[in-house]
Amino acid sequence: MIQVDNITRRYGTLTAVDRVNFNVDKNEIVGFVGPNGAGKSTMLKMLSTFLLPSEGQIRVAGFDAVDNPLAVRRRIGYLAGDTPLYREMRVDKFLRFVGRARGLGGEALEKGFAWAVEVCGLQGVLLQRVDECSTGFRQRIGLATALIHDPPILLLDEPTHGFDPMQVMAFRDMLVRLKPERAILFSTHIIADVEAISDRVLILHQGRILGDGRVADLAAENGIAGAGLEKVFAHLVQTKSQNEG
Amino acid sequence: MKAEQVPPMAVEESLDFAQFMRGLRVVSSREFAAYFDSPIAYIYTAVFWVLSCTTFMNSFFLEAVVDMSAYFEVLPFLLIPFVPAITMRTWAEEHAQHTFEMLMTLPLHPLQVVLGKYVAALAFYGIVLLGSLPIAIMLVFLGEPDLGLIAANYLGAFLLGAFFLSFGLLASGLTRDQIVAFVLATLIGFAFVLSGHEKVVEVLDGLAPALQVGTWLYESVSVLPHYQVFGRGVVALADLVYFLLMSGFFVLMNHISLQRTRY
Repeated sequence: MIQVDNITRRYGTLTAVDRVNFNVDKNEIVGFVGPNGAGKSTMLKMLSTFLLPSEGQIRVAGFDAVDNPLAVRRRIGYLAGDTPLYREMRVDKFLRFVGRARGLGGEALEKGFAWAVEVCGLQGVLLQRVDECSTGFRQRIGLATALIHDPPILLLDEPTHGFDPMQVMAFRDMLVRLKPERAILFSTHIIADVEAISDRVLILHQGRILGDGRVADLAAENGIAGAGLEKVFAHLVQTKSQNEG
Repeated sequence: MKAEQVPPMAVEESLDFAQFMRGLRVVSSREFAAYFDSPIAYIYTAVFWVLSCTTFMNSFFLEAVVDMSAYFEVLPFLLIPFVPAITMRTWAEEHAQHTFEMLMTLPLHPLQVVLGKYVAALAFYGIVLLGSLPIAIMLVFLGEPDLGLIAANYLGAFLLGAFFLSFGLLASGLTRDQIVAFVLATLIGFAFVLSGHEKVVEVLDGLAPALQVGTWLYESVSVLPHYQVFGRGVVALADLVYFLLMSGFFVLMNHISLQRTRY
């Protein structure tokens, strides 16, 4: 569903993403981990077609993200890192606007709206203005905008930001329920989120992929069998530093 | 993944006219409603109505003429600060609220978004302009005004506003700061209006008599001579083309300027 081939993204002289390759398949949840500034958000912005890569090729649902951005946008649900919402709008009106902009209308719009509201638990805030909602609810509204058209691909940038522990657990359950028939890629720097629900992890550091696989496999490959993601991550970063040093 | 496993690239999907118009309508509806979510728009509109109607009433009572010339003559000068005040938030606020990224990753062509915002601004300006209709109605009751002249004036005023809105939106798209957007659009407005003013033309021509810069600006660039034709009750093709081309140019520039954010 997602194929990233040798992607590089530069901002002036800064290389934010450097020759990155990975795939995400259907029925798969992949966690994108790395410290702040690792290039996770830049990678997701390129997958969502918001940014163009400097080099390389991205295919989403078979479409080239550079040559055919509209086809890609129709097939993704994207939650950007800052949870962008029209804060002065009422929640229900905002969700319907996003649904219409995604080409939904009539019964399909109402069906998508009802489903997204139910999945994200927004029934209690529908008639409130977005800026009257708590941070956790705003995040859920953002998720609802990514889900309203029932996309086959979900790209979520720091989706649990602002959630309390109960909301984090509910989010993880939701993602697992959404997994069948979908490819889900989410970025986070919260290791526990990734360990809890990801089938596979992509470890990104300074724009490079340091590891791509199941946590147990990565640990075994690096001679630290049985280690958790945190240790695997630290080991890979340390090894990379030593190799460069 | 090995090269032989890579599936062929999917066929490109196009956007037909009906889809284009549908997306444009979705964007313009939201944008139009957004004008009424903010008290600022109400305040600007009220101030605009008070200033424009006061100017008219002053002239109406002093000259006792049953026409709206005084209202339409002052309009370009009132629009110089008014339109930028309306347009400055259009793109700048998208950046401030980080909604720009959401908007540009919806399955909409950037031109749909640009035109949607432009149409919404036009509709809002239309309402503001219609706020002066009570003056026309009053004149009909008081005497026998030239309704053709008034209609031509309204057409000119609408096209003038459409032109101001086009560079106002461009200015907003060039910066993340609403104040910078306001100042930039106001300066552009000043340039287009004042270059059609007799005194300014004389001064500019005097600076370099051989080049006749003032006359060239007056004849080729300034909006005022084209607008004033409508004030004489004349609707000429050349003036319609001027407004359509200039507005189209700035809307297109706005569209192009948005593309740079992807690089």
